[in-house]
Amino acid sequence: MEVLAIQNLKKRFGSKVVLCGLDLSVPEHSIFGFIGKNGAGKTTTMKAIVGLLKPDSGEISVMGEKVHFGQTNTNRYIGYLPDVPEFYSYMTPPEYLKLCGEVSRMDKADIVTRSKELLELVGLGQERHRIKGFSRGMKQRLGIAQALLNRPKLLICDEPTSALDPAGRKEILDILLAVREQTTVLFSTHILSDVERICTEAAFLNDGKIAMQGTIAELRNKRSSDGFIIETVQKEAADTLIKAFGDLRRTEQNELVFHGSEDRFFSIMQYVAENRISVQKIEQIEPTLESLFLEVTK
Amino acid sequence: MKPLLSFMKKEYSEAARTGKLIILLLLFVLFGIMNPAIAKLTPWLMEMYEDTMAGSGLVFTNIQVDAMTSWTQFFKNIPMALIAFVLIFSDIFTKEYKSGTLLLVLTKGLSRYKVVLAKTVLLLSLWTFGYGLCYIITYGYNAYFWDNGIAHNLFHAAAAWWLFGVWVICLIVMFSSLLRNSAGVSLCAGGTVLLAYFVGMLPKVRTYTPTMLLDITSLLSGAERTDTYMKAVIITVAACAVCIFVSIPVINKKQF
Repeated sequence: MEVLAIQNLKKRFGSKVVLCGLDLSVPEHSIFGFIGKNGAGKTTTMKAIVGLLKPDSGEISVMGEKVHFGQTNTNRYIGYLPDVPEFYSYMTPPEYLKLCGEVSRMDKADIVTRSKELLELVGLGQERHRIKGFSRGMKQRLGIAQALLNRPKLLICDEPTSALDPAGRKEILDILLAVREQTTVLFSTHILSDVERICTEAAFLNDGKIAMQGTIAELRNKRSSDGFIIETVQKEAADTLIKAFGDLRRTEQNELVFHGSEDRFFSIMQYVAENRISVQKIEQIEPTLESLFLEVTK
Repeated sequence: MKPLLSFMKKEYSEAARTGKLIILLLLFVLFGIMNPAIAKLTPWLMEMYEDTMAGSGLVFTNIQVDAMTSWTQFFKNIPMALIAFVLIFSDIFTKEYKSGTLLLVLTKGLSRYKVVLAKTVLLLSLWTFGYGLCYIITYGYNAYFWDNGIAHNLFHAAAAWWLFGVWVICLIVMFSSLLRNSAGVSLCAGGTVLLAYFVGMLPKVRTYTPTMLLDITSLLSGAERTDTYMKAVIITVAACAVCIFVSIPVINKKQF
């Protein structure tokens, strides 16, 4: 079942077109990576999903219900973590979660148990200080706790790891992995290693549209290979190859890289065999999301 | 109702924990004490400067102070207290827009009109409490030193000024729903008051403008009757209601 479906979403700010016909579907219990350059429209899309921004046209539905701008009932299914979460800094984490729970009409007893459970999960269980002195990472973790408070069907995180150090990033990613059982996660990012690490599906946003969407394996398969590395035994052999094939690029003394069609690759191999060139290694370069991203956003 | 009450509780705890409440309390208590104190000290001050003044040809004879002097002082000082109040709270909405703190509670399901209501209730209650405190302190000292009976229509005069404050607060709420920075909110609210003041200078419309509520000297001295202020009171109450009713659809359409 689809937790989130977006059809033909369009949004412009003045003369700047941010989204121009975005279509997206997020299946249940997936960790969905929403990838795009800075300014691609990731935050705009997310704000439209939670009803904070009014789309110019298009339709968004969450759990089969239509999202309305302003006051939307679909937010009862959603937990939202903005890119820079800001809290009432004079409150302590339990006080803040209590406010959130009361605002979303949760039971008093449920608020207490759920807050305790979530603060433990995000590593703020022992924190008794006010939010005022919290680091960015701590705020992100508290943000995840507040987003998960009302047991959402869809957790939306806007670049949760972008401003964090490697340790902080790992903590956030581990939390997102841990909550996968309870909810579907949609998170935007431009850090592709994060997507490769935890996501089951991903979509590339470019020029206000989804350029590509699928499971991580499907996306990788879109590019069969990123090329080959040919390592010769002797430097002279590499020189001969470069003379014969202009599209080879030298990376080290006897290491050449080739990006191009398979036919061309086989003709290089034929030349190698015919001229009895000793080769130490031929390696296929694994396609990465990064190369795909660069290709998509070119 | 529960979300509204929780958000109101948050507003009061914010006012207390960020020190705004204590500043307000000190401000109104100080103004409350200052009014009779200045009245009481006037003769002594005059005596001190008598010799200097005599040199320039001014001679003081038998300076009389009474409750009226103190009440006049009260109505002179209250505008300053209102300005301070406005400056302290002009960012009550805009701060939340800027920092993004409102985003999270809104996406948690808090209705936008409840934000307007909670903040309006906070502002009105603090203004009423602070103004009332200032009034009671001045009243108490005046009763102790002199006789409050000398001031006519005292309660009505004070209520008129309180209502003017309520109108200014409603302007703050309305401009906060329209604008995104606190300086703009204060300027627009101040500009509207100034505009009303200039319009009130026209004799034909004077009794219809909210600024009429500030002109209470003749009411205190008994030269003017309370009926004269009725039109201005009705107009001001209506203006307050309009401000709040305009704020709600505006904030409902606001994009964050």
